[in-house]
Amino acid sequence: MILPNGGPPLNRNIINTFFFYLYPLYQLGNPQLRIFRPSWFLTLVRPGKEQPQDTVQFRIPMEMTKYDVKNYLEKIYNVPVGVIRTRIQFGSNKKRNHLNQKVKQPDYKVAYVQLALGQTFTFPDIFPEKERAPAEGSMEEMQEKFMEDEKQRQKLDPRRGGVTEWFGL
Amino acid sequence: MAARTRLPLLFPRNLFPFRSQKLVHTEVSVKEPAYPPIVPSLTAKSKSARRRQIEEWVKKICTSSVEDKLSLITRIQREKFVVYPQTFARNADRWYQHFTKTAYIPGLPEKFTPGLEKTKAAVPGIDDDAFADIRSLVTRVILQEHWQFRKRKPFMYRHQEQVVGPFLRSLVSGLTYSLAKYNPLLQLSSLDLSPQVNFYWRRGQRIIPKGHRKRRLEPTRFQIDDRPHSQIRVTQQLPQFMPLEASHAAEVPEITLRPNVMPLFRRQYDNNIFTGAKLPDPACYGHTQFHLVPDRYHRDRMVRQQQADQVEVFLRANALASLFAWTGAQAMYQGFWNYEDVTRPFVSQAVITDGHFFSFFCYQLNTVALSVETDANNPRKNLLWGTESLRLYESVQDGEVVGLNDGVVKLLVQFFMNQP
Repeated sequence: MILPNGGPPLNRNIINTFFFYLYPLYQLGNPQLRIFRPSWFLTLVRPGKEQPQDTVQFRIPMEMTKYDVKNYLEKIYNVPVGVIRTRIQFGSNKKRNHLNQKVKQPDYKVAYVQLALGQTFTFPDIFPEKERAPAEGSMEEMQEKFMEDEKQRQKLDPRRGGVTEWFGL
Repeated sequence: MAARTRLPLLFPRNLFPFRSQKLVHTEVSVKEPAYPPIVPSLTAKSKSARRRQIEEWVKKICTSSVEDKLSLITRIQREKFVVYPQTFARNADRWYQHFTKTAYIPGLPEKFTPGLEKTKAAVPGIDDDAFADIRSLVTRVILQEHWQFRKRKPFMYRHQEQVVGPFLRSLVSGLTYSLAKYNPLLQLSSLDLSPQVNFYWRRGQRIIPKGHRKRRLEPTRFQIDDRPHSQIRVTQQLPQFMPLEASHAAEVPEITLRPNVMPLFRRQYDNNIFTGAKLPDPACYGHTQFHLVPDRYHRDRMVRQQQADQVEVFLRANALASLFAWTGAQAMYQGFWNYEDVTRPFVSQAVITDGHFFSFFCYQLNTVALSVETDANNPRKNLLWGTESLRLYESVQDGEVVGLNDGVVKLLVQFFMNQP
């Protein structure tokens, strides 16, 4: 707090404790101690229709524009962006609930970002198929073994060459 | 009483005692039964009927005159992709290569590259004095537009159209008229200013995903509507740069994605095929096209938008699309079309400039048969040769052109001097 020229600051302890509960007021030249994060969040999605190698598809908030997306990716994530195209997807209002009222699915904005400098991006496989081998001595292992034996018993003699029992005695 | 028998008036030849005599001396003539040809129906709702309809349509077009051919091919309007030669899309040159089945060869053909300095003259057919005249003409044109002519400051983003456009026009007309005495082809040529060039073709197919025509195959149609800055049309065709068979080895990029992802948009309107002049015009072959880079795609603006690598891509795509449309229209004017492929290659040249930087391109059209049925066994590919951008001059200072590049002037003169 800037006091007029004169005596020492009055009641300094009270003033310091008073201002402890207010934010540190910023004046030009002060060190920038606070970080402002945008309240917009981008969602990387897998493209429904096939896109070229350098195209990445995002779902963005409705208020964002192409230039906002470009600045967002370049400044925060250091991603070199070439060209961006956006569109708004209308969420359907056709379905009806058990009370016959129309249920609206929310609208969302989609951005197609083409990367610069020849970079490419493929959407990774998030849910890969895992080979689950059941633990030793557990119920699942015994059940699987039993099922396999049953299937083996149902199969016909391999020497018949896949011919059914209809062609026989 | 005796029954009255009617005797025949004429005595028949094969009456009983004489019958065998006839059979002894004559041969039996077996008449072959003449059935009509067994062809599928024309009006049934079957695949073979549809095939026969297409065959009849193709035969009808093959047997008609060139005007009728053009009108029959472009008669039916359907949704088509509109290909703009000057496009903002990234990596447009790869896409356009796929659409037009063109292979890109960096550098110019051997005709224009000075392999060995055999002759003293810079350009064959032009001696040094004439070359000096051409050089002075170029400097005069540059000085006139940029120094002498008192122009007001051009409007924002209209510098190219208001300053470089007139410069290019005066340069082209000056060069054409001064080189006409060395190249007899230019004496019978036609210099068009801002002509229209249109072309319509089909390439590839897709399965219609939705609608009453679902699950049917539909060919993808394309249309180019181009307005080059200026072009020179001549009465004789330029010689080929490479024999037809040599193009079989060239590589064309294959893109399996749909064109609308590029982005490319579809519209339905008149299908036009036009070289710049109507059919009866004697100057039906193309020589050189000149294109101006508009302000929107100027390299300074591209650099500001961090798309510096797309500058060359834009130039290549522009040359590819414009020259393909022009040579394709020239071939159509001669009667070649999708089912009747060209018997000789059609050749044209282009120069694309933004005032300072010049890029030179040569195009050879070897095939017009690009639709699915005709492309299946077609090994021919079209070829595009092109250079990087070359600076013509550094700057204009105090009424003097600083740093005039002789190589670029030489290439320009060589392009104009190209003749059969």
